[in-house]
Amino acid sequence: MIIFKKFEINSSKDKGNIMSNRKLTILVLGALLIGHTNLLAAESAEAVPQEQQVSDKQPQQASDSTAVPFGSEDLSATDTSEAGGAVTQAELDGVRAEIATLRDQLTQRLDKTIANSKRSLSISGSTQTRYAASSSPNKNGFLFNSAIISLKGFLKKDYVEGKSISYTLGLGSNTSYNLQPTDAYLQYSIGQSLDIGKPYLYVQIGQQKKQFGLEATTTEDKQPAINTAQFASKLGLSQRDIGIRLYGDLFPVVDLGYNYRIPLIEYSLALYNGSGPNTADTNLDKDIEGRIVINAPAGYYSPYRGLALGGSFYRGKQDLYKVGTTLIPNGEGEGEKIRYGTDLSYVSAPLGFTAEYVIGRDEKNINPFATTLANVTRYTTKSAGYTVTFFYEWGEQFYKNSRSQSRNDDWWPTTFQPFIRYDHWDPDTAVANNESNITTLGFNFFFAETTKFQLNYSLSDDKATKVKQNNFAAQFQFGF
Amino acid sequence: MKKWIKALPIVALLFITVAAQAEEKPKVIRIGGGGNALNLPQASGAIGWVNEQGLLEKEFAKDGIKIERTYYKAMGPGQNEAIASGLVDFGSAGDLVTVVGRAGGLPYKIISTSGAGGSNIYIQVNPASGIKSLKDLKGKRIGYLKGTYLHLAFNRILDAVGLTEKEIRGVNLVNADAQAALATNSVDAIVSSSDRPLVDQGVAKLLFDTRKYPQFKSAPGSIFVTEAFANKYPEITRRVLKTLLKGYYWASKPENQEAIIQSSVKNGGTYKHIKADLIGSLPPKENYDPTVTTKVLKDYQEIIDFAFKRGIIRRRYNVSELFDLRFQAPALKELGYDKYWVHN
Repeated sequence: MIIFKKFEINSSKDKGNIMSNRKLTILVLGALLIGHTNLLAAESAEAVPQEQQVSDKQPQQASDSTAVPFGSEDLSATDTSEAGGAVTQAELDGVRAEIATLRDQLTQRLDKTIANSKRSLSISGSTQTRYAASSSPNKNGFLFNSAIISLKGFLKKDYVEGKSISYTLGLGSNTSYNLQPTDAYLQYSIGQSLDIGKPYLYVQIGQQKKQFGLEATTTEDKQPAINTAQFASKLGLSQRDIGIRLYGDLFPVVDLGYNYRIPLIEYSLALYNGSGPNTADTNLDKDIEGRIVINAPAGYYSPYRGLALGGSFYRGKQDLYKVGTTLIPNGEGEGEKIRYGTDLSYVSAPLGFTAEYVIGRDEKNINPFATTLANVTRYTTKSAGYTVTFFYEWGEQFYKNSRSQSRNDDWWPTTFQPFIRYDHWDPDTAVANNESNITTLGFNFFFAETTKFQLNYSLSDDKATKVKQNNFAAQFQFGF
Repeated sequence: MKKWIKALPIVALLFITVAAQAEEKPKVIRIGGGGNALNLPQASGAIGWVNEQGLLEKEFAKDGIKIERTYYKAMGPGQNEAIASGLVDFGSAGDLVTVVGRAGGLPYKIISTSGAGGSNIYIQVNPASGIKSLKDLKGKRIGYLKGTYLHLAFNRILDAVGLTEKEIRGVNLVNADAQAALATNSVDAIVSSSDRPLVDQGVAKLLFDTRKYPQFKSAPGSIFVTEAFANKYPEITRRVLKTLLKGYYWASKPENQEAIIQSSVKNGGTYKHIKADLIGSLPPKENYDPTVTTKVLKDYQEIIDFAFKRGIIRRRYNVSELFDLRFQAPALKELGYDKYWVHN
């Protein structure tokens, strides 16, 4: 207690220190406006022992005027050259002038050169540049695979319960080099979204990615290959569509020691046009899609963390086409379009395993001469596909908090991720020897926050065409 | 030839002995810490001073052991993830972080406190909320970040006035959002550390702070080490702790309090509030006393019991599971600090 009193007395009676604090407050305020570099400079000038500050109340003497022979500087000695005592009126006026200048500069830049938006806006984007080569036919070349610009932000932010409204607008171009909307939707949090111990519930309206299964929808932590599985593209699962989707979760498990949240159940139920992206509805029916995922209700340090079992369905109608693309007749003739899928994943860095099985039912017209519904010959194609992927990581890319460090440099956790994937696709299960199998060996190299380099070597065996291919692809995926 | 064969076991034994000795030292000691508001890779206080002086680097230079420091923006939870992933050996965090981590099976032990003072907690209210006392918090919208020492301390404060977390409308907010929510009347009150710009601006009022009620301060924070490291390198562990204790000795001196404040300012704090917070704490010698006393153990057991009772952790355990007392007493004695921090 005696020491405490001594500390108080020292603090309160030391006028030099009080003045020093006053100056520090002014300087910090100014420095915050001036910029980070100046802030540190101001602080370092003040960060000297009390006794020294007191002694520096005296006019600066030898330190500024005494010549120091070149090469004899002693950096280990405390630098007192900038240690000030009481702030002078001139210094105070100087800080005021600096703040005023900065304010004027900021006003001018806001008016002339700084982009503004009416609501909060976050701009991001990604691009894929690829070199691909295949053995049969023998071809190779560089490819600008895709470019996407995405704009996101809040239209209304609710601090109390997180019932916020946000928007997403994406513009993308693929190998056709046409710029078209990708995502264009509003999202509203129907339920609260701030308490991690309670369930979430959202609704999303507009053009958006379908949420069927794992392969077509998942992020890079669960899908290491350049190309998605065959069934994802063949069954249209990777496609975006226009509609409304309700999704959320139930029974969240929270491990506060890691800010880790995993819901026992995740669900999604959607109603789409079923006609694909950037297209008006071509028929009167709507497609319905559902997905449910059961996650292991485990804490972060549990060996079961990352274990999930999912199931998806998609039921809709598709237009019956005659040979060519003419509808029979416009919008009225429809056939069933059904997909069912199940997936299992265990992704807990550094290990990863995913498996997915999907079946499709597509009702089509096989009468090339049909021009009316009456002479349509309906045939249902049953297709099936599956993938199995194993991967392993060296590095910290997939540890959330390792990616978020306080650092001076542009450090990023360099990570290597080899993987192997087997991809099987049977376009018509009623037909023998028409399957396509692709085995892919790959290696991903993450070396910057938004950039990775991917190498994929695959052996494909298309039994229908009796073509076996060796394919190689190297791709940079970079974003901002 | 026979002599050569007979000598083989001796050569092998020598080789194993040399190899075993080589394994007694790690190539690198990985130390975790919390990030700061300015996103700079630096600590403040006692550990900040140890780092600035390069004491750990000097201590292990002769052994060729490197020191690696990582500052996790996610503070304690970030370090817990790093421990779980085998990325750090030592770390420092607040009371709830280690209690929750250990409850989930994280294999680490506290080997020292980071100062007996703990941290103060402040409750700021919107004047329009009508909150005049802690009991008035019932049914109100209160912003705070779950999983932190603020969460635990706030629970204990509510408990003292006969309320539970279920009787208020808790809003999980990081500090910046909490301040914005309070300013826009989106919440009625927030639980925070010492920084309170809205109070300075007259937008909010300070309802409560633990400078007046120190019994509700957080328990002392901790310095921890993974069990694997401590068991494999007990001597290195003792030397790391010994070096860190020099920082606490330095921090416990009244003449160094100004430097401590300045280092906190460099990490993004407000000078005025940090100084007021420090003055409102225990005297420096007590505030930075790192000793694991029976009171510290009792405090932590109470936290474990309370956190279990309130459902913050799912497993109740004995405090001995969380502490490893092998290292601190010898290190303090070696430095002569056992006569400096005397406990009856």
